[in-house]
Amino acid sequence: MREVIVAGVGMCRFGRYDGEREHPYKTFYELGREAVMNAWKDAGIKWKDVQAGFCGSCYQGVGSGHKVLAEIGLTGIPIINVENGCSSSSSAFRLAYQSIATGLYDICLVVGVEKVPRGFIASTGWPEWQMKMGFNVQPAAYAMETVRYMEEYGATLEQFAKVTVKNRKNGVLFPYGYFRQEVSIEEVLNSRMVSKPLTLLMCCPNADGAVAVILVSRKKFRSKKKKVTVAAAVLVSSLYGVERGGGSVKIQNADRTRIAAKQAYEASGCGPEDIDLFELYDPMAPIELISIERVGICKPGEAGHLLEEGVFDRGGRFPVNTSGGLLSRGHPLGATGLAQIAEVVWQLRGEAGSRSIPGARVGMCHTMGAGPNCAITILKA
Amino acid sequence: MVNNKRKIPVREGLFTASSSAGGKPRLLGGKCLSCGEVIFPKLEICPNCQEEKIREITLSRRGKIYSHTVVMQQPRPYYKGPVPYGLGYVELPEGVRIETLFTECDPETLEIGEEVELIIDKLYDDDQGNELITYKFKPINAYASGKNGGK
Repeated sequence: MREVIVAGVGMCRFGRYDGEREHPYKTFYELGREAVMNAWKDAGIKWKDVQAGFCGSCYQGVGSGHKVLAEIGLTGIPIINVENGCSSSSSAFRLAYQSIATGLYDICLVVGVEKVPRGFIASTGWPEWQMKMGFNVQPAAYAMETVRYMEEYGATLEQFAKVTVKNRKNGVLFPYGYFRQEVSIEEVLNSRMVSKPLTLLMCCPNADGAVAVILVSRKKFRSKKKKVTVAAAVLVSSLYGVERGGGSVKIQNADRTRIAAKQAYEASGCGPEDIDLFELYDPMAPIELISIERVGICKPGEAGHLLEEGVFDRGGRFPVNTSGGLLSRGHPLGATGLAQIAEVVWQLRGEAGSRSIPGARVGMCHTMGAGPNCAITILKA
Repeated sequence: MVNNKRKIPVREGLFTASSSAGGKPRLLGGKCLSCGEVIFPKLEICPNCQEEKIREITLSRRGKIYSHTVVMQQPRPYYKGPVPYGLGYVELPEGVRIETLFTECDPETLEIGEEVELIIDKLYDDDQGNELITYKFKPINAYASGKNGGK
């Protein structure tokens, strides 16, 4: 397998582009264009040198990637549109990575793009009868996981509130995030209940947005930017027995994040102790704690206490979500995976400004999508 | 007033009708004749061992709450029932965990380990004017005083 390098990253600012309540109106392909232009300029390559395009999105309909690239100019390259729930752009990234690693192409574009309506996402990732019964509510699914987590490990609502407080604090320094204001523990706990015990500020906001990445082979890497290499790009689905929506009491296979993390550590030759920063999936505040445990940073039930000791702060031993995570950055489903990758690239290049993790050399990105699936990417400087 | 609405199940094959000869409702599951795994709803192929010999079985009417939540905001556009609503997982003695609606939406009546019983109940009226019916679980102590009362 050949070395694959992230030569360029670019984003548009996440937020609302629905034309309502004084927000501007932009189409998803306009947002995509902005992200692609930023990544393309960052990489210092020629548009007509891009050999293939991969676009992650969930609800943008047919030909989403084609619509984005047509804004800049179609060049006859293959464009592959990838839907894989909230791991859509992580999955698109992996396809581009594989294409270069195996020698098929030398320069690929990856874009993640999404516009999401307000309110609960009308997810279609469930059988029809389950949607009629109101099962397709992400905060509810995560609330039930949270209730178990509290029962088994004694995790507290205050700890969950502190996850939001940490990520919102980080988000103040992330220029492309939706929210850029801090919140207090009390504000999180006292915000309205969405799905017991998750309050509004423990849930990530829906947002519109786009992110793009240019991947190149070593021989085509001519940028003056610091080289960031893809050390692992893993994608798994769940094993029988533990899937959402029921399952087996007798057969309890390992969770998808544990399986993906094991594969990513094997592929990259590093363990959690070697990783300098983590962008972990935090659609709901408690899920960040559960994800921290499942990628192996600590044992089950320990994350809440370590959070309170500051271990996951920007200045802590294992910084988690320096970009503010989904909780602050917002969650344009198909764009989220690449937003994590963009932040890790900026951090590893030393371009993260006031939110920098000094000397960071290795970073991990982690998403979980409907299916269920899980994607983990490890980048090294 | 006569209720002329046609009652239709949210999906065929999930449960037996409650009114049949005064019998009590049952969920319809599947048992793999090869590995013994019990599943709900019944599938054609065992998701555990991939054998195709699945026998339809009726599942126990009582189980225990594995987890729960109360949804406080209207989902769109599929669910048209009342909000808030109680949702959770129930474990049945056969070894299957089932996602379900609860009859209760008061979080105080829903607790991990609480014993619950199957009922068939109205989900909501659909756009064609039919009454959708579905399975739900009801806490056995829902109307007893105190969380641990009446056991």
